Amino acid sequence: MFEWSDEQVMIRDAVRDFINKEIRPRVEEFEHGDTPPYDVLRKLFATFGMDAMARERFKRQIEFERAVEEAKAKGEPVPEKPTREGGSDPSLTMLPIIELCRVSPGMVTAMGVSMGLTAAAINSRGTIAQKERWVPDLLTLDKVGAWAITEPDSGSDAFGSMKSTARRDGDEYLLNGSKTFITNGPYADTIVFICKLDEGNPPAERKILSFVLDSGMPGLEQSPPLRKMGMHSSPTGQLFLNDVRVGRDRLVGETEDVPSGGREGAKDTFSMERSGVAAMALGIIEECLELSVGYAKDRVQFGQPIGNFQLIQEKLARMEVARLNVENLVFRSIEVAQAGKGLTFAEASAMKLYSARAATEVAMEAVQLFGGNGYMAEYRVEQLARDAKVLQIYAGTDELQIVAIAKDLLRR
Amino acid sequence: MREVDSETMKIVVCVKQVPDSWAEKTLGADNTLDRGSVDAVMNELDEYAVEEALRLQEAHGGEVIVLSMGPSQTTDTIRKALSMGADSGVHVIDDGLHGSDAVATSLALAKAIEGRGADLVIFGSESTDARMSVVPAMVAERLGLPQLTFSSSVSVEGSTVRTNRVTEYGYDVVEASLPALVSVVEKINEPRYPSFKGIMAAKKKKVETVDLAGLGVSADQVGLAGSWSAVEEAAARPPKAKGTIVTDDGAGGTAIADFLSAQKFI
Ligand SMILES: Cc1cc2nc3c(=O)[nH]c(=O)nc-3n(C[C@H](O)[C@H](O)[C@H](O)COP(=O)(O)OP(=O)(O)OC[C@H]3O[C@@H](n4cnc5c(N)ncnc54)[C@H](O)[C@@H]3O)c2cc1C
Repeated sequence: MFEWSDEQVMIRDAVRDFINKEIRPRVEEFEHGDTPPYDVLRKLFATFGMDAMARERFKRQIEFERAVEEAKAKGEPVPEKPTREGGSDPSLTMLPIIELCRVSPGMVTAMGVSMGLTAAAINSRGTIAQKERWVPDLLTLDKVGAWAITEPDSGSDAFGSMKSTARRDGDEYLLNGSKTFITNGPYADTIVFICKLDEGNPPAERKILSFVLDSGMPGLEQSPPLRKMGMHSSPTGQLFLNDVRVGRDRLVGETEDVPSGGREGAKDTFSMERSGVAAMALGIIEECLELSVGYAKDRVQFGQPIGNFQLIQEKLARMEVARLNVENLVFRSIEVAQAGKGLTFAEASAMKLYSARAATEVAMEAVQLFGGNGYMAEYRVEQLARDAKVLQIYAGTDELQIVAIAKDLLRR
Repeated sequence: MREVDSETMKIVVCVKQVPDSWAEKTLGADNTLDRGSVDAVMNELDEYAVEEALRLQEAHGGEVIVLSMGPSQTTDTIRKALSMGADSGVHVIDDGLHGSDAVATSLALAKAIEGRGADLVIFGSESTDARMSVVPAMVAERLGLPQLTFSSSVSVEGSTVRTNRVTEYGYDVVEASLPALVSVVEKINEPRYPSFKGIMAAKKKKVETVDLAGLGVSADQVGLAGSWSAVEEAAARPPKAKGTIVTDDGAGGTAIADFLSAQKFI
């Protein structure tokens, strides 16, 4: 794949059209007002039938999983996984991510955490009953989801210094701890809370368990949104748990026997998150480049358009190189998925590292190219530069991506 | 008269590809629009026509055929209508059609519609590039169909189509028996976006291409040669003249009122 197909271009144009009519004119309200992004995102899904498609795909998945369970119970051969039809083309998620990021990367953050991370965490490890209970509403954003691993004293070293605990209490568990920087935290209906099973053993040996919480449960407090540098249309908050009592039905997988102590489950989620970041970076880069080319032609200094100056040309050329590279990474991840394969953890890390850095560099250079206007909120690059920076921090910092890539290389 | 039942209701909706209304347009050497130099889109009012056809189909069942005449890139516009939900397309394409005026266009379209057994033919009431609003009426005349133009609502009951025809003072309710031709104004509905599923399904829908021979139209009836009108000359719009600036020294209100009354606004 070296370019979008005719259908993909039609999808892109239709989504772009919607965003230009429904989101761009209201970007001020989403970024600096108190309007959460969820309603307009739901409208986007409904308009393009993405909600119905997600529900259908989920239904087919559950039917298949049931058939597998039944066959296993009867001791019959397990049915083969049905080949996926066009409906699961990853470009159908990538294109809206890219287009939304041209205007509001924050919206993608809010959407991705809810439909991507939170739904995926339950959908990959939960029981069929748990999937049916929580996943469909998350996939359509009818319910807002949050995925909570980070704590005040535990970030990059997510498992090592995690303090949140689950303690057995009869057939139930008592959950305690505090989480921070949680996307959608302030508005989440459904929260995946990741913690350690405290059996009185040393913390390093404790199992990692995930629980699904609903907002309003006794002992659960969701903070108002935190003020931050960018991604203003994505509400970020803290969660406080004080003896939140849950039954086993809320323990993801309904078992404490999780493979490799529960650390692998979260890793899958990281991988997915990382390829999504490349699509986000592409949207930011495309928008910055387009705006910069326009400005370089229009802005006149020393009697000529600034695009005539070689130092400006160099910025544009570097932006174009970044655009091509990140686009190729996005194409690669689409093709890999279409081939029914996944990116390795190290590959996903490499992709995230490069794309996040490229997006930040391009957006900051766009600010520079716009001069004083670039620093003014009226010009779009100001917001995009603030938004881009976080791509290097969340979903694993640049430094942690480097660690993952190097570890993989040196292990070979 | 034709009784419409859900199995057979057939709607032909005519759409035109036009240059994006916001784009700078240029004319070619023969004083026809240089279509290659600008982004082409579906004429906006035709989106309302497609939407109305689809809504009628949703209410009554049947089939929606989208018809467009134009050069090869017109397929994009046909695909767009198919992605919104139309069932199949007809593309009238022939080099001989280049430069056709409204009269010649209406001949080609009428020939393409003829014989398809349409119960309703739906048009947008004008195109953003030519803005003449005559093609629907001409096609109706050529096909001998009742014409219900400038409709802000359309309903079908049995063998009758009823529309609200927008007028200067409000609207008239008009009725005709099917088959009939309707043209719509933008007040009629809010066109849908194509769904992702619709876009992917559009690729597999049938688009028939028809040339002049297929229509039974001879080359001298259409195109630049067969047109009744010709563009002799074209001039760029003169640059905007500077407006009058009135400094408000207390009599600003009177100055504005005088200006408006001189222009016969009040
Ligand atoms: C807007 C936003 C949204 C977020 N959303 C969520 C969410 O929804 N859910 C969630 O659970 N979390 C979320 N996070 C948290 C995010 O994942 C963490 O901030 C991130 O993983 C980094 O952790 P930290 O902030 O504790 O930084 P630290 O881990 O304290 O890192 C500080 C610095 O030290 C560096 N460093 C740390 N370890 C090493 C090492 N071994 N080698 C080299 N350098 C190292 C880091 O790279 C960084 O530069 C979000 C964060 C932000 C900003």
